[in-house]
Amino acid sequence: MDARESSSLADVLADARVWKLKDASAAPARPVWSTGKSALDARLPGGGWPTASLIEVLLDDTGLGEVQLFLPALVECQRRMGQDGSAGDVSWLVWIAPPHEPYAPALAQQGIDLTRLLVVRPTSATEALWAAEQALSSGICAAVLLWLKGTDDRWLRRLKLAAEAGGALGVLFRPERHRFESSPASLRVLMTQGEHEVRLDLLKVQGGRPGPVDLGGS
Amino acid sequence: MHRSAPQPLKADGVPPTPQIAGGGRVSQLWYAVVFPELIDAAYSAAVLQRLCLHAQTFTSFVSIEPPNALLLEIKGSLKLFGSLERLHADIDACWRRLALQAYSAAAPSTLAALWLARSAAHTGNPADRPPVIDDLGALPGHLAEMPIACTAWDIARLETLRAMGVTRIGELLRLPRAGLARRLGSDTVQDLDMALARQFAPRRAFVPRERFRARCDFETEIENAAYLEKALEPLIGRCAQFLRERQAGIQALRLKLRHRAEPASCVHVGLASITSERRRLTDVLTEKLTQLELAAPVRGMELISGSLRPLSAGSLDVFAGLAGSRAGAGDRYDSLPQLVERLRARLGEDAVYGVASIPEHRPEAAWRRVHELPLPSASRADGKMIERGAGEGMPRPVWLLDAPQPLASVPLILEQGPERIESGWWDGKGVARDYYVARRTPDAHRSHGAKLWVFQERQSKRWYLHGMFA
Repeated sequence: MDARESSSLADVLADARVWKLKDASAAPARPVWSTGKSALDARLPGGGWPTASLIEVLLDDTGLGEVQLFLPALVECQRRMGQDGSAGDVSWLVWIAPPHEPYAPALAQQGIDLTRLLVVRPTSATEALWAAEQALSSGICAAVLLWLKGTDDRWLRRLKLAAEAGGALGVLFRPERHRFESSPASLRVLMTQGEHEVRLDLLKVQGGRPGPVDLGGS
Repeated sequence: MHRSAPQPLKADGVPPTPQIAGGGRVSQLWYAVVFPELIDAAYSAAVLQRLCLHAQTFTSFVSIEPPNALLLEIKGSLKLFGSLERLHADIDACWRRLALQAYSAAAPSTLAALWLARSAAHTGNPADRPPVIDDLGALPGHLAEMPIACTAWDIARLETLRAMGVTRIGELLRLPRAGLARRLGSDTVQDLDMALARQFAPRRAFVPRERFRARCDFETEIENAAYLEKALEPLIGRCAQFLRERQAGIQALRLKLRHRAEPASCVHVGLASITSERRRLTDVLTEKLTQLELAAPVRGMELISGSLRPLSAGSLDVFAGLAGSRAGAGDRYDSLPQLVERLRARLGEDAVYGVASIPEHRPEAAWRRVHELPLPSASRADGKMIERGAGEGMPRPVWLLDAPQPLASVPLILEQGPERIESGWWDGKGVARDYYVARRTPDAHRSHGAKLWVFQERQSKRWYLHGMFA
């Protein structure tokens, strides 16, 4: 009895048969960017969008506030990455193949630094994927947003590796029909239109619990 | 040391003997090098121009002495290189690296250095130590032993001198000046004065050309664009050195590919900012080449740069490459101009741009595309430049449609508004609109919950969709 009771919690956890769910996906000191919505922050590991990873957002129409989900994080990472070290300008945002023109006054209103924003208009999906890979792995981009109709698993894996290599926040917007395909993205979010408001579902969260997110009164 | 005013000629046309002031102090030091292998006049002219560029790493004043010699003024470079011997050895090493046979000499005057180098070339043993004279007093002694052939005067003059029994310059110096001038011309005497550093004639410095141009031809025709990259490397290296020596950069490049029968095809490359870096030029050219489809096999290439622009501190990418430590990031730190160039090279010049807002009430006119991207050194942390939450009344949508779309019915819940925008009556594109932030009602067939930016025209009362809040 005594011998068993004297084993501490640390010893129990150190046992290889015990697996801590949190530990498995704890990323070492990767910054996270708050989404601006506390309900969503609470569900994401680390309390926000993770950098150096690929986030996939599945939605069928625009206007659901999908970019708005990321705008506070984009503003914050532009601000912080730009100040990080006097040498090296790592605060660039790259938007690739957005469905419409980004409206500059709107972005400026939210606090985006327009002098550090690039819009890329490729003519084919392959070019878009190539451009995203270049931007993600370059190391000077704080975030890369990519809009695509469809792609294959191989390319997604390449994008994920590029995001990890370059330390950028990679966001991929895809139509909702891809929700049942497997994807190497570390975070998958589904946005649909509900009766009165937009519904947000976490399809896949590394280190968190998937399921719908109640945004509450945001 | 030199005469301050031109002395009047005496009655017989002989310039008077100048006096050396300062007791033999040297104020100039010239290095001359003769390349005996350069015989063909046209070919050697081009080669000498290229060699001038190499020589310019040691001094800024380089002068071409046709047909096969160069003169470098090295007094100013002594301090940088340490000593005269060291500088001389460095320059000689430069010619050795280029696998050129060179005979060199250094002396306080241009002609003396040239004559010494030439006589070394005539005796023909490059292993001898090159004559280096930095003391003016020792100059006549050294010159005295040189054969008169090293002066490279015309044949008639040399024949006359040989007939007079003069074979060495020392004997020439002992002849009376007036008689010498009369028999061989006053320029003979002037040359001797110049050799002894009693007189100076300005030399024309080599001025490099404005554009870089280099070409190479292939022994066999190349059909695959991938092989062109290999051939491009030395050309780009030369271009980078060309720019580095001039402290200049370029913003455009042209690659001309020559074919056997068809006219030459041209590849134009633009750069995002003025640069002289070899890596960036290579990157953007290889990107263009991978997309290139060759119309015909290529026999030769020519690389022509755009006009040279001065390099500013802002366009130096050196520091951008040393981006600060980012845990877990790869070791590939591009600078933004490199990324933009790479993207533009593959997707097209207009495919990559920035946006900027314009202070303008009419929403469709309140923004524009920006092609010229700002350099990283532009004011970054200056809070004034960035409008943070300008607070222009109502929120603006992230997507703006190219043109307002009329809305068939009004299945909308108007959430915010109205915001009245009336403007632009002065240029004919007047607008008078009431803007609202709206949401589609649930009983519409699609798009519940999408937040839209709509407006109603005040005069016609029609409703339009202008943007979406993404």
